[in-house]
Amino acid sequence: MQTRYRPFSLWRIRAITANTLTELTRLKVFYVLLVFALVLIGSSIFMAQFSFQQEFQILKDISLGAISLFTSLLAIVATARLLPQDIEDRTLYTILAKPVPRFEYVLGRITGVLLLLAISTLVMAAAFVLVLYLREQAVVHTTLRQMSGAPPDQMADALRVVRSSAFNINIFPGITVIYLKACLLAALTLFVSTFATSNIFTIVVMAFIYFIGHLQATAREYWLQEHSGGVITRVFLAIVTLLFPDLQAFNLVDDIVAGTAISLAVFAKTAVLGLFYTTIYTLLATFVFYGKEL
Amino acid sequence: MTSSPRRSGAEAGPAVAVRGLTKVFPVPFHRQSIVAVKDLSLRIEPGEVYGLLGPNGSGKSTTLKIILGLVSPTRGRTEIFGRDSRLVESREAVGFLPENPYFYKYLTGNETLRFFGHLSGLRGVALKNRINELLDLVGLSRARNRRLGTYSKGMLQRIGLAQALIHDPRLVVLDEPTAGVDPAGSRDIRDLILDLKRRGITVLLSSHLLAQAQEICDRVGILADGVLVREGHLQELIAIENQTELIITDASDELIREIESAVSRSKAKLIERRKSTTTLERLFLEATKNDKRMTKSE
Repeated sequence: MQTRYRPFSLWRIRAITANTLTELTRLKVFYVLLVFALVLIGSSIFMAQFSFQQEFQILKDISLGAISLFTSLLAIVATARLLPQDIEDRTLYTILAKPVPRFEYVLGRITGVLLLLAISTLVMAAAFVLVLYLREQAVVHTTLRQMSGAPPDQMADALRVVRSSAFNINIFPGITVIYLKACLLAALTLFVSTFATSNIFTIVVMAFIYFIGHLQATAREYWLQEHSGGVITRVFLAIVTLLFPDLQAFNLVDDIVAGTAISLAVFAKTAVLGLFYTTIYTLLATFVFYGKEL
Repeated sequence: MTSSPRRSGAEAGPAVAVRGLTKVFPVPFHRQSIVAVKDLSLRIEPGEVYGLLGPNGSGKSTTLKIILGLVSPTRGRTEIFGRDSRLVESREAVGFLPENPYFYKYLTGNETLRFFGHLSGLRGVALKNRINELLDLVGLSRARNRRLGTYSKGMLQRIGLAQALIHDPRLVVLDEPTAGVDPAGSRDIRDLILDLKRRGITVLLSSHLLAQAQEICDRVGILADGVLVREGHLQELIAIENQTELIITDASDELIREIESAVSRSKAKLIERRKSTTTLERLFLEATKNDKRMTKSE
């Protein structure tokens, strides 16, 4: 029965990841998706009175805004409870009393949350694309009916306008960036929860960080206008940027709604920024958790 | 469950060695700090059942946590089978049941053991067989597919013991294993511990239930305010050197009078004469067993 100890085991991480995913889904966190679906369906019915350009714009605005808000909420609320709950229930003792290094526990937990966020984002994106497609098809049919006697060139132009108003290539990179923002928030929440005294405290701290994170770019620009860009200022701003990530950088919804092209460079820069923050916060969480007295 | 003493204490060196252990917890915003354990040294040999006894707050749980690497010592050193207990690999040989464990309520008994089995590096048929074996051992085979949220306190304690044993450890650490469990459940856990002892597994348990510790421990250490105030073999510690008990069955009044007269003629002194009694625990178990039989026959 004795097994040889391995300092790193993907099998152990997988067990913790799978358990985290089971925990979060069985705790019915997925109910937020139902709320999202209701918002989506409700908004599409309400928009029938607008022109199709306005309808598609509002639908994209509301849906992408809702995906962003719900994935962010899910990331914070789902992650905040994991560590304090395990300590309170003493399940952490039984896990760490097995030959499980602490970094594997942190890695397993965060991977479970990131998987949950990926599934949630995919489900919400699928619902959004489906509703958008159904509305687009309805408008195409109406256009074909209304322009039944028009020349083919004119009809083709009209259909092109309808289709380009509904879908543009930016939707999918936009959703990816929303997911990366949620990953960043989950990793930051896990980091805060390693030294927080309760999950309520973690959620409150994260709410502050969330709002400051959306304002920090503007504040930074104002600060740089007022002060010279010396070494101390740069170090200070670097610390502020680490503590309060620039969440506004992950807000590409306006560009998608307006149909402005998101360049590959902007997408790549934002994606790298998201991955960088997620990695840094996971490492910080592991570092603090290593020294934690249980 | 095989009952052959697979490990009969043949290992070289102690199962647990604690040397000069001190743990100080700083109190935030105060100059003073709390000394939970002070200069504690003890040695537990392979195959023995060692009871760490003491009132609440005496440092028992802190000592166990340090041995398990969950808390770091301020001073001193702890080892499990010769390995520094701060090293993760030292936990290969240990199974732990914390006080009042909750586990994951959303998992079934079977899933719980599978999860802890995976953490211990087990998988496949070996894990499946081990789960079946342990569910049988702790009497939870019929409840294996029920979520832990529906388990009673005693059942939780038994599934906790099963997860502690999942990787067949050489040392089992039990923190208040019968806390909050009814007498019947408590008796079951006691029997399981005695079974571990028969198989040569070292058991370190903390308790403040002295009667139970007396039944199962080979040696005990008594902690008070973080200091080990007594330690030794149980029989040696509790024996009263100059007193002897005789338990006689079916003795006539005449025989009793003769014994008393012989005592009075000698230098010895008869301190107490009373009817033998059963224990309240035994009385409770017999009474509830009868009740169960009656309910079943109805």
